[in-house]
Amino acid sequence: MTRHSMLVLLSTLILVVASTAAAQEKPRTGGVLKAAMIGEPPSLDLHSTTATITQQITWHIYETLFTYDRQYNPIPMLAEGHSVSDGGRRYTIKLRRGVKFHNGKEMTSVDVVPSLQRWGRIATPGKAVFKFVEAVEAKGAYEVVIHLKEPMAALLDGLGRPGNAAAIYPKEVIDAAGDGQIKEFIGTGPYRFVEHKPDRHIKVSRFNDYAARSEPSDGYAGKRTAYLDEILFIPVPDVAVRLAGIETGEYHFGQEIQQDQYDRVKRMKGVEARIIKPANWSTAVLNHKQGLMTDKRIRQAFQAALDMEPIMAAGFGHKEFYRLDPGLMHPEQPQWHSRVASEFYNQKDKAKAQRLLKDAGYSGQPVRWVTTQEYRWMYQNALVAKQQLEAVGFRIDLQVVDWATLVQRRNKPELFDVFSTGFTFTPEPAFGASLQCNWPGWWCHEEKERAMEALAKEADPKKRRALLERIQQIFYEDVGRIKFGDSFALDVVRTDVRNFPVRPWLAFWNVWLMK
Amino acid sequence: MKTYVLRRLLALIPVALVVATVAFVLIHLAPGDPASVIAGPDATPDDVKKIEQQLGLDRPLAIQLLSWYARLVQGDFGRSIFLRKPVLEAIVERVEPTMLLTLGATLISVLIGVPAGVISARYHNSAADQAFMMVALVGISVPNFLLGLLFVLFFGVWLGWFPVAGYSPLEHGWAPTLRSLVLPSFSLGLVQSALIARIARSSMLDVLREQFITASRAKGLGERAVVYKHALKNALIPTITIIGISFAILLSGAVVVETVFNIPGLGRLIVSAVLRRDYPIVVGVVLCVAGVYMLVNLAVDLSYLLIDPRVKYQ
Repeated sequence: MTRHSMLVLLSTLILVVASTAAAQEKPRTGGVLKAAMIGEPPSLDLHSTTATITQQITWHIYETLFTYDRQYNPIPMLAEGHSVSDGGRRYTIKLRRGVKFHNGKEMTSVDVVPSLQRWGRIATPGKAVFKFVEAVEAKGAYEVVIHLKEPMAALLDGLGRPGNAAAIYPKEVIDAAGDGQIKEFIGTGPYRFVEHKPDRHIKVSRFNDYAARSEPSDGYAGKRTAYLDEILFIPVPDVAVRLAGIETGEYHFGQEIQQDQYDRVKRMKGVEARIIKPANWSTAVLNHKQGLMTDKRIRQAFQAALDMEPIMAAGFGHKEFYRLDPGLMHPEQPQWHSRVASEFYNQKDKAKAQRLLKDAGYSGQPVRWVTTQEYRWMYQNALVAKQQLEAVGFRIDLQVVDWATLVQRRNKPELFDVFSTGFTFTPEPAFGASLQCNWPGWWCHEEKERAMEALAKEADPKKRRALLERIQQIFYEDVGRIKFGDSFALDVVRTDVRNFPVRPWLAFWNVWLMK
Repeated sequence: MKTYVLRRLLALIPVALVVATVAFVLIHLAPGDPASVIAGPDATPDDVKKIEQQLGLDRPLAIQLLSWYARLVQGDFGRSIFLRKPVLEAIVERVEPTMLLTLGATLISVLIGVPAGVISARYHNSAADQAFMMVALVGISVPNFLLGLLFVLFFGVWLGWFPVAGYSPLEHGWAPTLRSLVLPSFSLGLVQSALIARIARSSMLDVLREQFITASRAKGLGERAVVYKHALKNALIPTITIIGISFAILLSGAVVVETVFNIPGLGRLIVSAVLRRDYPIVVGVVLCVAGVYMLVNLAVDLSYLLIDPRVKYQ
């Protein structure tokens, strides 16, 4: 054995021993975890916003009837279990007993029914689910029955998704708020809301009467334990300050660090870089309702001209943080991921683009592309794409505005042809904004809409996959949107934060602090 | 004198009204709206419209303005859309860090700026003068956010002397508060000290060329007495004016520095309010800052009375 291989063997041994030691480390209760977040949540009412940051903070406080396991299958959380009858039209959901809200009251169907109804009225995915729902009713204190107009296989996914979730609030909170914003933040989660000092922190602390599930932790499901005394979610909008604060130990966790800082972070002592994979797909949304992009040939020219590698490289800086992939769902979701129609992705075919533009009779009318520097990657993606598009004859009018303007302008079809955004990771394609017809961009396509409806209803996984593949085919042929590629986020964490798996949705239950 | 002050105070009202109206109309005319921000990125246009109706933002702007005036007359500044509390309460909560930061920065800028200016003037054209003015030139040219980031890197990350960000309120003791304000106060104050030094120097130079200075020298007064007693007092009026203005500049400079150092003051309040179009907060903070501006101006005018016996207000 050479000296070199001895060294390799030795270091491997040390690594194995060290990681086993970490795995067997006894959880420690106590401490205050400080998480540096990208900003303030627009609301703490999980029913009322699709903002990811609201979900990341409040799902420590509120829980849903179902949640996801490691493979992203919906499984019970506040529910004990469920049964389906009447040919898939009736879901009877049994509730767990002895689950307490933070106000000390036991959660029963009296709370669950109005929570689901409110979610169905005001939440974006709630409305999509409730198109299929005829009625929700209580059957005794611990059972809720959902009557469907027609069978809907994606119901449990809908009830389990964390973003804009079907959170269960106490009835009094809902009565007080109606469809407006809730005024008290009470749930059944492992942490309870303590205070919100805007621009300072949102403080949650351990809920001592938390009714944890007995099953071992699996993904987001199973036993949730609040080891920490408190979590402070601190809004730190400046990315350099988030990173500096992690480096000095002022924060334990820092969200969304610029990806080009990856190599620097790897060299920092006591700090661990985490690649959140998958996080997003970066996209340009085309306006199918009004203007230039209603012409399919122009959309196809747009798609044909793009070379995704430089676009993604400009946006995400470091090879580890992006991937060129045509899938509507990510490779991490093998049950869904497909490379169907990949010949239309990343074509870099200038001649084809020019030909299509000529066929469409395009004569240099400006294409209004609304983007923002508030998310640097959106702007950088757009900037490189603009150059490529102009090289084939497009004239791009890049309108750089702030995020609040972008999200307003995109709702008005007369104001844009293209806008930048990202679609966050979702386990269930039936509810993702990326494929919805009523979402800005208004990509409505007869066959696609039929397939989407079938996807929501269909229960057989094989048939569901086939439906999504068909939708993906249409996505590229009709150029529903432009997918640039998959992007991953860089989070940083101090090494004294333990049992904190790398996964798409941020959660601090089961996490402890080693001092 | 009393009537003068009263007159000046009464004059604040129309100015405040104009400021409030302009701020209200401008922020409402700016593209973007709070409803889209609340609804989040995946919301559909219908969802956004519903929230807009709940917030009353679908009414014509003139109606919104009138109902806002009606409430303002009763002393009601409205409620923040995002903070779920009255605007006035939100502002009062944020005054402490901003005031302390601005005072700290003013103190630093005066303590550095005035002596540097006076010494430069006294040793006019000497090496010390050149050096001070060179530093001042650099100081004026460096934006305070850059200075702030450099301070964070050097004193926060490398040396670890001060926290890189955040603010500890006075209720937790003055020592941590002071510690959390050192870096931001310096990055804000140093830049202003350069301005004050230049003004102090030039007004000192003007005064030193006056005949009464020659006269005092001729009657055999020592140089110290000439410079620090006679010249400095006379050079103070423009310097105080600039300190007053610079206090106001610092107040607005706090917007940037508070963002860099993550200090939850008025600056952060208005930045986040603008970014998410929290209209009532934006207008409230603009009004409040305008009020402070006007009061500082009044205070500066009144301070002339103390320094210069020739000044009389009727």
